[in-house]
Amino acid sequence: MSSVENKTSNTWLNSDRRRLIVQEYGIFFAFLLLVGILAVSNEFFLTPGNISNVLLQTSINGILAIGMTFVILTRGIDLSVGSVVALAGIVSASFVTSSATAGVFGAPYPMALALVIGILVGVGCGALVGLIVARFSVPAFVATLGMLSAARGATLIYGGGRPVPGLTPEFRWIGTGNILGVPMPVILLALVFLVSWWVLARTRFGRYIYAVGGNPRAAKTSGLNVSRIRFLVYVISGALSGLAGMILSARTGSALPQAGIAYELDAIAAVVIGGTSLSGGVGRVTGTLIGALIIGVMNNGLDLMGIQSYYQQVLKGALIVGAVMLDQKRNQGD
Amino acid sequence: MKKLMIALASATALLASSAMAQEKLKVGAAPYGLNAEFMQIWSAALEEHPAVKSGEIELTVFDGRYDALVQQEQFNTMITQKFNAIVFVPIDIDAGATAVEAAHDAGIPVVGSNTRVNSDLLAAYVGSDDTVSGYMEAKTVLDKIGCKGNVVIIEGPIGQSAQISRLEGNMKALAECPDVKVLEQQTANWSRAEAQTLMENWLTSHSGQINGVIGQNDEMALGAIEAIKAAGLDVGDFAIAGIDGVTDALHAVKEGTMTSILQDARAQAQGALDLAIFHATKDGSYTPQSDIWAQYPDMPFNDGKDKEYNVPWTPVTSENVDKLLEMRQ
Repeated sequence: MSSVENKTSNTWLNSDRRRLIVQEYGIFFAFLLLVGILAVSNEFFLTPGNISNVLLQTSINGILAIGMTFVILTRGIDLSVGSVVALAGIVSASFVTSSATAGVFGAPYPMALALVIGILVGVGCGALVGLIVARFSVPAFVATLGMLSAARGATLIYGGGRPVPGLTPEFRWIGTGNILGVPMPVILLALVFLVSWWVLARTRFGRYIYAVGGNPRAAKTSGLNVSRIRFLVYVISGALSGLAGMILSARTGSALPQAGIAYELDAIAAVVIGGTSLSGGVGRVTGTLIGALIIGVMNNGLDLMGIQSYYQQVLKGALIVGAVMLDQKRNQGD
Repeated sequence: MKKLMIALASATALLASSAMAQEKLKVGAAPYGLNAEFMQIWSAALEEHPAVKSGEIELTVFDGRYDALVQQEQFNTMITQKFNAIVFVPIDIDAGATAVEAAHDAGIPVVGSNTRVNSDLLAAYVGSDDTVSGYMEAKTVLDKIGCKGNVVIIEGPIGQSAQISRLEGNMKALAECPDVKVLEQQTANWSRAEAQTLMENWLTSHSGQINGVIGQNDEMALGAIEAIKAAGLDVGDFAIAGIDGVTDALHAVKEGTMTSILQDARAQAQGALDLAIFHATKDGSYTPQSDIWAQYPDMPFNDGKDKEYNVPWTPVTSENVDKLLEMRQ
């Protein structure tokens, strides 16, 4: 995969790409090492059931982190994903609930309608943020911080602060169903990953994203519509947050207004561990996927060994900082 | 000139009416946060209190946003605005004490509700004893598995007063069944999604060994149920219990997948408000207006003299679940 990638990349990206691939291997080896340690220390870790669990538990964060990768590649950040997860989850759920009081008029509707609405809610939030960032030059940190608060408030207003229970089995299938034994959320993550990989590595739009993040001024002078690209990455992140929100409510069986709190932190962590630079222009979704898997595997492994979740948080913190320290060191070495 | 007279007259009328409004008691309610269902029901019950509905008192609800400092600042606001009484649900057992002291020093009575605060300056406290619910829920699980086998405990955030007391109750019941082994005991921070992940992992590491799940609240018990279903196991093979009686749990009790114990948010809220009004009127002439005192004869108002009012827990059963669900509409 890496050799093919190199051929398509622009010359001015080459050293970055090379550095990134080295780091991605590093992250991949760290991942294998972690898997190895857990496999040796716990007999259940490598059982098919547990592997399926880890992938399942990684799927929501994985999808959010991939959306976050698009944003971070343009030097942005999206702090609103957790709140958008809750909003899209509760709005879409209100269309597929069999509860007499929690749903919209005429619910339950077919799953397809709820899916479209959930994605549209995400796209709407992303478009609003994108507009504010791209058109009014508000820093992404501020714009998405605003959306973090506003979308959470909107969630509480929409549902009256109450959960939307009783989702139809048809809708719950996207969270609890499987195809040939592979859980649906994992299939959705795989699809999101493949499409995103293709967009970033193979399309003109993907190259523009790297260009905008690598050097916005150069991108502008070479005629790229920088604000349009900035706008679109937030729409992508929003749409994926919407998807993740629906998977979450389908999994838990009820859309909860307090869902998704602090999910943005795990998503950013996965991106950073995966080697994407917060200063933009460098990074790949492959790394992000491995970053999300590392977090998922670590949480799962420590649960299996019966270690308190507080240690998981400490380890995750160390991992994030460690990954960036390695990144810095390699930068200086180049 | 005439216009000026009219303006003056209406201004005087305004002043007079605002002076009259001053005589109306101002009660502030400071719940720790309004994002979760329990506190939603709690604050809705306050608004439904007869004294609020009739306009006899003026009620303001402050959202503590799960932050002890925010709550403290809200207390300062209420003190400057000269509120007559405060109903307080602290986020933290120790951090709340400073706020209570400040209000006490300003001569404003504070009535605690739902969660405890380490302060002897409270005028009164209306809540439910969490050790009792912890004991009751563990007991239902242990009875169902016949006092032998293995259980897991899903805890609230370590160190929170409800987690400490409910665990104490859990352990008291477990001590009565020495043959029962606790396989795992971890926190899922009251969260359904976190509990689901924990249970998925435990079903792997203790495959076929878990007989009972003691969830310290309903949300986490519901998360465990989803994990069991997702693993393709029969929920009927597990004894699962939660606490609080949130709406989703009531539905689950109806389906027969878990047991729950209702914590009566309405009684805690309206009881505390009655006591707050009582202590604010100072002359002891106030008689409580909420119907909760009639509902719980075991908890008499006792002329407002008591320091502690214990709202009894109600086990949710197939008999009373429909009625409870009706009250949620």
